[in-house]
Amino acid sequence: MRRASLILLLLASVACRGGESSPTRRTLIDSRDTYDPRSLDPALSTDVPTGRAVAYVFDGLVRFTPAAEIVPGLARSWEVSDGGKVYTFHLRTGVKFHDGRPFTAQNVINSFQRVLDPATTGGRGWPLYPIQGAREYGDGKAQSITGLSAPNDSTVVIALTEPLAIFPKLLAMPVTSIIPDSVPANFGERPIGTGPWKFVEWKHDDYLLFARNDAYWGGAAKADSLMARIIAEPSTAVAEFETGNVDVLQVPEQEARNWEQTDEKSAMLSSAPALRFWYVGINTTRGPLRDARVRQALNLAVDVPTILDRMVSGHGRIAAGVIPPTLPGADTMRAPYKRDVARAKQLLAEAGFPNGIDVELWSSQSPPFPRIAQTIQAYLAEAGIRAKLVQRDASSVREASRKGETDMILKEWFADYPDAENFLYPLLHTTNRGVGGNISFYSNPNFDRIVDQARREQDDAARAALYRQADAIAFADAPMIFLFHHRVLYAIQPWIKGFEIPTIFNGQNWTGVSIAR
Amino acid sequence: MLSFILRRLLLAIPTLFGVLVIVFLLLYVAPGDPVQEMVGERADPETVARLRAELRLDDPLHKQFVHYAGGVVQGDLGRSYITRRPILQDIRERFPKTLQLAGAAMLLASVIGITIGILSARVPGGWFDRISLGVAYLGISFPVYWVGLILILVFAVMLRWLPPSGYGGIEYLILPALALGSRSIAFLARVTRSAMLDVLGSDFVRTARAKGQSERLVITRHALRNALIPIITVLGLDFGYYLTGSILTETIFSWPGLGRYVVNAISRRDLPAIQGSVLFLSVVFVLVNLITDLAYAKADPRVAYKTAS
Repeated sequence: MRRASLILLLLASVACRGGESSPTRRTLIDSRDTYDPRSLDPALSTDVPTGRAVAYVFDGLVRFTPAAEIVPGLARSWEVSDGGKVYTFHLRTGVKFHDGRPFTAQNVINSFQRVLDPATTGGRGWPLYPIQGAREYGDGKAQSITGLSAPNDSTVVIALTEPLAIFPKLLAMPVTSIIPDSVPANFGERPIGTGPWKFVEWKHDDYLLFARNDAYWGGAAKADSLMARIIAEPSTAVAEFETGNVDVLQVPEQEARNWEQTDEKSAMLSSAPALRFWYVGINTTRGPLRDARVRQALNLAVDVPTILDRMVSGHGRIAAGVIPPTLPGADTMRAPYKRDVARAKQLLAEAGFPNGIDVELWSSQSPPFPRIAQTIQAYLAEAGIRAKLVQRDASSVREASRKGETDMILKEWFADYPDAENFLYPLLHTTNRGVGGNISFYSNPNFDRIVDQARREQDDAARAALYRQADAIAFADAPMIFLFHHRVLYAIQPWIKGFEIPTIFNGQNWTGVSIAR
Repeated sequence: MLSFILRRLLLAIPTLFGVLVIVFLLLYVAPGDPVQEMVGERADPETVARLRAELRLDDPLHKQFVHYAGGVVQGDLGRSYITRRPILQDIRERFPKTLQLAGAAMLLASVIGITIGILSARVPGGWFDRISLGVAYLGISFPVYWVGLILILVFAVMLRWLPPSGYGGIEYLILPALALGSRSIAFLARVTRSAMLDVLGSDFVRTARAKGQSERLVITRHALRNALIPIITVLGLDFGYYLTGSILTETIFSWPGLGRYVVNAISRRDLPAIQGSVLFLSVVFVLVNLITDLAYAKADPRVAYKTAS
């Protein structure tokens, strides 16, 4: 497969004619979705294509900008009181759903209840669990959510079980979007929101089409309509971009360098740091991997700069912790583990393994995972660590790692919201072992205490300091091989104006994007 | 003839039941968990447990099977775990597109393949025969995936004659049909050629030629008709290949058919969607085999299906 796409690429670079003229169409066309969304019902948005589409049709109380800053959405403003436990959201008035019904505070309450309602079977209640009574409602033990109230049509008061400074960011996730009352059973196929784009049609596995909402409270979109094409094969998306049929392309990692080295193509490229972290989760409860010295040895054995350079065309930054360098709390001065085979061997010997260890390294079969896993295996071998590669499809790998059956697993983690907490808490907190995201099964009471404290801390600077402290502990304990924080590479057609690369998957709603004539 | 068809259809029932059982068991033992796919990258154990109970995944195997099979008998293939849409509606939406692609591929393959086969058989060892033989070997050897990408590159990116991918008018159909049919063209050309050579060497062809019939009539009326049986066999067998080959072709050309649906369902462990699609495709297979058998009788009067044996 890879060889075929390489040949295609080489031929294409010869064939590329460049200097395309603007298309006559008035529809913006995206090519980033690789599979059909699960649904267009916000309550079911657990995958990227669903989340992106939901962000077009719906609004949350707040939303993300492309740079992942949090800005008002359906809430004009909000205050925090009671030491960070109570949030009062002041809602926009005069906002209407696409079917003409007015948006009111009761919609917020009903939308949140629906996400938590067991009958919805969405599977993503956790962003709302900080609300008082949310878990009880979700378990079917209560008739309503005690922490939610609407004193009038334009105010929503949310009481949390304990202070949580990141709470507003959770409300910018697609799952917490606001929907109208009493929606029909096929709402996931015929969504109605307040968002900048109205739903037009959905041809499964083909495309989604949206039309501009002229009455959008945030100002109508510049383009008439927006199409999200669903293209499974990355090489095909590349061909569609080269023929000018799509406006935006996420350049496949393994092809990035070729694009950068072709003049006409490199002019269309632009890149931005993504909240996407590559690592090898080390199960800290299995065999020799229980010893931190062994895990440090693993980190010292691998030449991460070379992997970054050769496997993902250098698009990233070597990780010295789990927090991406663009987020508050990241320690950009901390030195990453540097390859030192002798030191790695010495650490193994100190831990009682002078003859090295045997481990399994799991990865999924989709590129570029297998190649990176093979490279890591070769580096580990030089330090006397005999890694056996296990390659399965993504679903099997996920299941095994969550059950704690994998020694090591090559993984990437995409942020749901831009905050260091979204890396520290799910990936490494004791509460989240297994299905919560902590597939290292890392458990350090000291780390947990600092992260818990950070979650409650209201002061931004103090919170960032706590994040930094927790990250330093994890870095030393090495419950993972720290690889790199990714930069995404996009190709944008020359006729497209105003497209900013989103740092977070639902951060670009295309309202400011237009086709130049 | 009618009772032959009825008997064959009745015999299909145990076959389909077998398919149902095997698919069910295979999915049960295969690793991967639909609930883990539903909840995405981050969840909590309570939600996972609740969804498993909701979807009856914790019931004993036989209970799950009875529940599923009970629905199937009533024509209900259930709802997708992931999307919550009825499976039957999904199949109804996608299968016509797969059939359209398979039909176009088959048409292309038979027209091109049989023509090449006949032309090669006319002068065996001649220049046309030798070139077509070489091309046929290449056609059989190249994987659909590679052929698809090359077609996109040449006809869409370089020449700009056709769109690279997507679903729409006939211009969207040509490249995927060619990619899907490429192996079949080669195969059909080979089979037609050897079948024609066999027939062209027989006595009745010599007689036809001796009585002064034109070469065109000899080939179309006498030879081709008698060479049809192996060609029909290949076409029938190839149909299965079209359905499975469509998985790759549909992925490369963003064709919204059943093949891509199945791939998605498998990668997300969407059990009802996998079971429903496999069962549906099995029904299609049974019907195609039946049609192939009936076509034999039509092509060769010596083949007849008696009512009883």
